[in-house]
Amino acid sequence: MRVEGDLDPRSPTDWSSGMGDPPPPAKKVLTVSERLIPFAISLTSVVVVFGGLALLITRSEQWPRVQLQFFNGRAMLEAFPTVLRGFWTNLAVWGVALCCIALWALVLAVFRSLNGPWFAPLRLFTVIYIDLFRGLPALLLVLLFGFGIPALQIPGLPRSSLFWGGMAMVLSYAAYAAEVYRSGMEAVHDGQRAAAKALGLSQWQTLRYAIVPQAVRNVLPALLNLAVALQKDVALLSVVGVRDAVREAQIYTARTFNYSSLVTAALLFLVTTIPLARFTDSIARRDRERRLQRTP
Amino acid sequence: MVRQVVPFLAAFGLLFGWVSATPAQERTPNDPRLFTPGKLTVGTGDPVFPPWMLNDDPAGGEGFENGLVYALAEEMGFDREDVVWVRQSFEETIAPGPKPYDFAIQQISVTEARSEVVTFSSVYYQPDKAVVALPDSPVVGASSFAELRQARWGATVGTTDLDYLENILGITNVAVYDDQAGTFQALQGGLIDATVVALPTALFVTAVQVPEAKITALLPPDENDRGHGLLFEKDNPLVEWVNEALAAVIERGVVEELANTYLRGDLDIPEITE
Repeated sequence: MRVEGDLDPRSPTDWSSGMGDPPPPAKKVLTVSERLIPFAISLTSVVVVFGGLALLITRSEQWPRVQLQFFNGRAMLEAFPTVLRGFWTNLAVWGVALCCIALWALVLAVFRSLNGPWFAPLRLFTVIYIDLFRGLPALLLVLLFGFGIPALQIPGLPRSSLFWGGMAMVLSYAAYAAEVYRSGMEAVHDGQRAAAKALGLSQWQTLRYAIVPQAVRNVLPALLNLAVALQKDVALLSVVGVRDAVREAQIYTARTFNYSSLVTAALLFLVTTIPLARFTDSIARRDRERRLQRTP
Repeated sequence: MVRQVVPFLAAFGLLFGWVSATPAQERTPNDPRLFTPGKLTVGTGDPVFPPWMLNDDPAGGEGFENGLVYALAEEMGFDREDVVWVRQSFEETIAPGPKPYDFAIQQISVTEARSEVVTFSSVYYQPDKAVVALPDSPVVGASSFAELRQARWGATVGTTDLDYLENILGITNVAVYDDQAGTFQALQGGLIDATVVALPTALFVTAVQVPEAKITALLPPDENDRGHGLLFEKDNPLVEWVNEALAAVIERGVVEELANTYLRGDLDIPEITE
C-alpha cells in the first residue's frame, strides 16, 4: 500500500495549495478466511510436492548406497579442509579476474562506441575481438592459453598455467561484459548526448560525465549476474592443473570413489553465490525504485 | 482328485527344475549372474593407454590387460568372440549405481577406501613407480626425497601416482591434470619439472609418445597401494569365480609372460629410496 502512495506522481503540496489534502483511500480489510485460505493452499502444496519427492527418493532401492556415496557426513568432513583450500584459490582468481574484466570490458565498450573515422581501427578491433572471444567456448580458451602459451617459452612472459588460464577467463568474460556495457550505453537516451553536446562537452567528456555513469547504473544487475557465472566458471582452470575446489573434490572422489566431497564443494559455492544473487536482486530493486520515483 | 494333484505336481516340477538348473549353469558361460549370460562383458577405459592395451583396441588382444582378459575368458570357458568390451571413462567407471559389465580392467588400484563402495578381485599386477622428466629437469641426478621435493610436480587425477607424490614424497603443491595426455603436455611445456607414473607406462611414454623425456629414477612401492585389481559392482557374486580363474591364470605363468612381453624394458636406472 505504501509503495503505491510513494509512486503517486502528484506530490501533496500541489494538492494542498487549492483544495486541501485528498482523503486517503479506504483500507481494504481482509477477513480471516481470506487470509488463511491462500496460506493453507501454499503450505499444503509445498508439503505435498516436496514431501512426495523426498519420499520417492528415500524409498528408492538404491538410496542407502547413494546416501553412502554422496551424502556421507564423515567423508564430507574429511574432504572439507582440502576442498576449502581449493576454494580460496577460486575466490582469489575470481576477485582478480572480476576487477580485470570490469576495466577491460569498459575499455572495449568505449572503443566500440567511439565515432569518427580515426577510430575505425579500434572499432574494427573490438568487433573482431568480441566475435572471436564470445564465439569460443571458455574451456577451449583455457586449454589453449594454459597449455599453449607457456609452452612457447617466450622470455619475459610468465609461465604459470594459473596466470594464462586466468587470462583466458578474463578475455572471454570481457567479451560478454563489453556487450552488456554497450547495451547499457545504447539505452542512455539520445537526449543525453544532445544535451552534453549543447553544453559544449567533447566526445570524451560526454562519455566520461554523461554516458558511462548512466550506462553502468543501467547494467549493474546484469554485470553482477555475470560475476556469479564467473565464480562458478573459475573451476574450468582445473584442466590446466590449478587445484581449485572442484579439482580437490575430484581428487578425493577418485581416491576413495566417494562423491560426498563434491557435495562439500557444492555447498561452499552456494554459500557465496546465494548471498551474491540476493545482493544482485536488491540492487535491481533499488534501481527500479529509484527510476520510478524519478519519473516526472 | 486329479485337479488337486496337478498344481502340486506342477509346483514340484518347477522347484525341481529350478534347483537342478542353477548349479548346472553357475560358473559356466551361461551363468545367469553374468551381465549378459553367454558373454563375458568387460569394461575398460576410453581411451586405453599402451602398454596396458595397444592401439586403443581392446578387442585386438595386443597388450597386457586385454591379453590377461582373454586368458581369463579362456579359463572361464568363454570363446574369444564371447568377450564384449564396454568403453567408459575412469569417472564413469567409479560412479555409483549399476555397472554395464561384469568387471572392469583399467589399472585400477585396490585400496581400503575404494573397497567400501566397489568390490575388487585379487591383485593381478603391482607395478613399480618411476620418475619421468625432461633431460634438463632439476630432478635429473637427484638422490634423495629431499632433492626431489625441490621440483615442480604434476600428476593425473584419479591415479595413485598423485597419492604417491603426496604421501610418500611429501609434496604438497602437485599440479593435477585431467588425463595422462595433459600431464605430459605440461611436462613438455615446462609447466612441471617431473611426474611419477607406473614403470610400464613410463617405459612406453619415454619410448614412443614423448621420446625427449626419460626415466630418471625408480621409487620404492607404497604400502597402501596393493596393486591393480579387477573392479566389480559392490557385492557382485561373480567375484569368487573370477578370482579362482585369475589364480589359475597367474599359476600357469600367463601374467608373468604377458608382463615380460609388454611391461618390461632393459633398465639401468638408479633407485631413490629415502
